[in-house]
Amino acid sequence: MLDVVAKLGRAASDLLGDNVFSLDREITERLRRIPTRLNAYGYDAWGFHPATARRALLVTALFYKYWFRVQTHGIERMPPGRVLLISNHAGQIAIDAAMIATACMLEAEPPRIVRGMGEYWLPTVPWVNIAMVRTGSVVGTRKNCIDLLEQEEAVIAFPEGVRGMNKLIWERYQLQEFGQGFMRLALETRTPIVPIAVVGSEEQAPAIANVMPLARLMRMPAFPVTITWPWLGPLGMVPLPVKYNIYFGEPMWFEGNPSDEDEVIGEKVDQVKAVIADMLARGLESRRSLFW
Amino acid sequence: MARAPIERPEDLFHFGGGGEERAAQETTPAAVVTRRPRRGAEPGEKVLITGIAGGLGRLIARRISGSYEVTGTDRTPWEGAPAGLRLHVLDVRKRKFEDVFRTERPDAVVHLAFIRHFRAEPEVRHEVNVLGTKRVLEYAVAHGVKRVVVLSSGYVYGALPDNPNYMTEDFPLNVSRTYPDVRDLAEVDTLATGFLWQHPEIATTILRPVNTLGYYVHSAIGGYLRRRLIPTIMGFNPMMQFIHEEDVAEAVALALQAGTHGVYNVAGPGAVPLKVAIRETGGTAMPVPESVARSVFRQLFRWGLFPTPAGAMDFLKYPVTLDGRRFQTETGFRPLFTLEDIFASVRR
Repeated sequence: MLDVVAKLGRAASDLLGDNVFSLDREITERLRRIPTRLNAYGYDAWGFHPATARRALLVTALFYKYWFRVQTHGIERMPPGRVLLISNHAGQIAIDAAMIATACMLEAEPPRIVRGMGEYWLPTVPWVNIAMVRTGSVVGTRKNCIDLLEQEEAVIAFPEGVRGMNKLIWERYQLQEFGQGFMRLALETRTPIVPIAVVGSEEQAPAIANVMPLARLMRMPAFPVTITWPWLGPLGMVPLPVKYNIYFGEPMWFEGNPSDEDEVIGEKVDQVKAVIADMLARGLESRRSLFW
Repeated sequence: MARAPIERPEDLFHFGGGGEERAAQETTPAAVVTRRPRRGAEPGEKVLITGIAGGLGRLIARRISGSYEVTGTDRTPWEGAPAGLRLHVLDVRKRKFEDVFRTERPDAVVHLAFIRHFRAEPEVRHEVNVLGTKRVLEYAVAHGVKRVVVLSSGYVYGALPDNPNYMTEDFPLNVSRTYPDVRDLAEVDTLATGFLWQHPEIATTILRPVNTLGYYVHSAIGGYLRRRLIPTIMGFNPMMQFIHEEDVAEAVALALQAGTHGVYNVAGPGAVPLKVAIRETGGTAMPVPESVARSVFRQLFRWGLFPTPAGAMDFLKYPVTLDGRRFQTETGFRPLFTLEDIFASVRR
């Protein structure tokens, strides 16, 4: 435990140096090289705005480097052009998405903007809707996803959805049921799928219960109770400084009729799920500890 | 936050298949069964423009008067109309309106005699917009018109939080759900679409242009952006597409020329967030919390101090951005004016 404290202290003192500034410069430089087209006012067709995204990326990059000390493996496997990133989903808040997006910005060549498919209620929340759109995400409609892929963008999807995000701590790294929408879209737009396994996220906020009546009352998809939330108030939302390992798998190409029966599509979905499960198992095996 | 995209219910009600190619094909089988084959307008044809003295009517008349013989109707006269243009000052609700069809015998009709502002009583709006359109379409059949262009609007899709960013023409017209005050204009669009299917022998084009700005045109968005202090909804800043009025006139001319038969979004050069548009047109955004805005502007509208009902506020929250590729592919339309030009045209 003392070791952790020492490491955190060292990381913090590093931050006080000019690391933040060099990180900001790096992000700015990388944002300039993304293959996304912008108009004369600096926005893309969906409202993505690098000047705003830069600030958000600086925050996530600090978490990436110093809080979760993310290690990314195999990101060079990500093909250029359209791609669907399919990952496991956990940790009560979608930090896994932010870390994958940060990895694709800081470590991919060329840097890529990862497009999230937001829930339908997100556009109704003041400011959140703006933040979502300016950082490159869109409302998760079928049409938006197809349009983005046809513009050769990288779209991320979590087929486990809230089933994965809000699972309890003793269910960690057990992949929940996968939705089929992503596979139908991949077939329709002839998009390669890059399976991703995130190791670490599933322990960042260990949930011991999910109080559904409260969730329904607050119109939220879930109301998790973790070891820190809601006991410590807003502070309880801070995730544990677990060590993140993100594994990018080989791109998978599928062919077939996008409107096939569920069973036919399900077989293909299971192939992706199996690859992610395998990467998770190997990632867990090679992990030395929860925190480093 | 993220999950696999959901198949939207409206996608299940298509005629099968998916994508733009199908949409383009939908119009072709109709062409096969027509007795009189549809084709583009020829030079010298007679074009009747309803609502010709309005800003857009004048632009369209000027744009096409070189190639066609233009006549028009409007409730108000047009001082300084181009020479050779015959103008009938009358109301679409009057009996004499049919006489114009009888005496002029137009080959094509461009219908834009709509009341889009809210100074008129809802009954008058309904009579002019819905019943007026019904009459125009009836007379077109009765008097052998070969081409009809109806100028609808992009906002018939409605501003809803789950709108995709680039809506295609087969997206449902949801505007009445949150903005019932303009349901007459959604009805106009539906009427014209029904007409399009019932009369394959008449080349009918329904254009749904995005927010139209310019020197002449009177649009709700133009009036809004011309204010000095512009109310916006706090915490919302949706993407908005704009098109220059001259490009809308060009789109009408192209529809006539190409003899298109279908419903088309007409998109401009691109989209920017609402606040960028406000800044670029020289205004100052005044963010108001939504709850306050709704009650305050509802009252102001009731007292006649604000031009649009509260339902219009959703257009300041959610994007209503359209996919204009169908019209571009079928007619070769390309907007000539850039976003900079468009904003400059309304800058004070």
